Amino acid sequence: MTPSVAASAGFASPDYAELLVDGLKEAEVSIVASLPESLLKKAYPLLQSDKDIRYIGVSSELDLPGIVAGAYFGGKRAVMIMENSGVRQACEPLARLIFGHRIPMVMIMPHRGDLGEDVWWGHGHSETMVPVLDALKIRYWRVSRLGEIKPAIRKAMLHADAGQVAVALIFEGECREQVDAQD
Amino acid sequence: MHRIDAVQALAKLVTDQDLFVCAHGGLRNDWWNNRPGGADNTCFLTGMDTVSATAFGLALALPHRRVISLDTDGSQLMSASLLGTLGNELPPNLTIIVFDNGAYESIGGLKTHTHGRTDLARMAEAAGCPHAVTVRDADTFARTAERLLNDNEYGYLVAKIAAKAAHQWPKDKQKTTDGVEEKYRFLRHVERLEGVRIHHVVEIGG
Repeated sequence: MTPSVAASAGFASPDYAELLVDGLKEAEVSIVASLPESLLKKAYPLLQSDKDIRYIGVSSELDLPGIVAGAYFGGKRAVMIMENSGVRQACEPLARLIFGHRIPMVMIMPHRGDLGEDVWWGHGHSETMVPVLDALKIRYWRVSRLGEIKPAIRKAMLHADAGQVAVALIFEGECREQVDAQD
Repeated sequence: MHRIDAVQALAKLVTDQDLFVCAHGGLRNDWWNNRPGGADNTCFLTGMDTVSATAFGLALALPHRRVISLDTDGSQLMSASLLGTLGNELPPNLTIIVFDNGAYESIGGLKTHTHGRTDLARMAEAAGCPHAVTVRDADTFARTAERLLNDNEYGYLVAKIAAKAAHQWPKDKQKTTDGVEEKYRFLRHVERLEGVRIHHVVEIGG
């Protein structure tokens, strides 16, 4: 049965966007700071309209690490969501907060440039993503199955606080928009 | 107006119930020696581009508490993208105070853009801040800061100060903590203030 048929029959499964929002709420995340992009595009309207989450839209990924760090100091669970190129933009504040202060933070990014990427500039996003995360000593986990979304978010929040480290979750496979859906 | 004049005036207007995020550079030791009660109420950050963003996150998390960002012109110019976000979110409990000496003091005073044509208060106002003000003397600073701290609206105060600090703090008056110690001290201070547990330490065996 195709997804559209399943949806019209009334028993469609939650998609990545619903699972992401539900996962954040179950992990008691109440602040999401983000510069929206296209591969998690269904999630942003849900986050903006959710009554339990304060969604903060920024104009540069530079501002995300500080907002998340400040929320942590205030006792609120916060995450940043951005394109994987955003980690390049946010390098300096991430480095300052991670190396200078060991402030925990969780970032979620879709994998632009994964196998089958048809957008030419997306390949650079992928080629630089892991080297930049490694340079910043940010441990990352790939989340590719829908069933992995909720436990990954819950564990990432726990991991970041316990280790006082930054954690990245890379959403790929089923957990982002399907750019090769026509194949 | 020297920076220390503004810092000392501010210290008289705030209480140990307020929280602060403070920039690096010469401002650090001025505030370290004047912060109310000598408490761990200040998050001293090393990153020039993280100060007001961190203060904003703190203000979001604790909407019932005054949060004051003690920032600099170099830092604000580096993180100008934040102004639009603040101008749209309008965090009512956040006041940003920019100590604007128009110079990169720690490298000998090379001029910043605010020494020339760039006006930070006008930038903040154009980005949506309803109360963005520039002041040039200590009395006006004190009056304006008192108003902005108590109006329950997002405020942005630029204190134009002398390019060179009035004095240097002796060794025994300089801040003694590094960034990691400051994090824990500030974190535990907020926990005590709010009566909450933020950082959970788990040990095997209970």
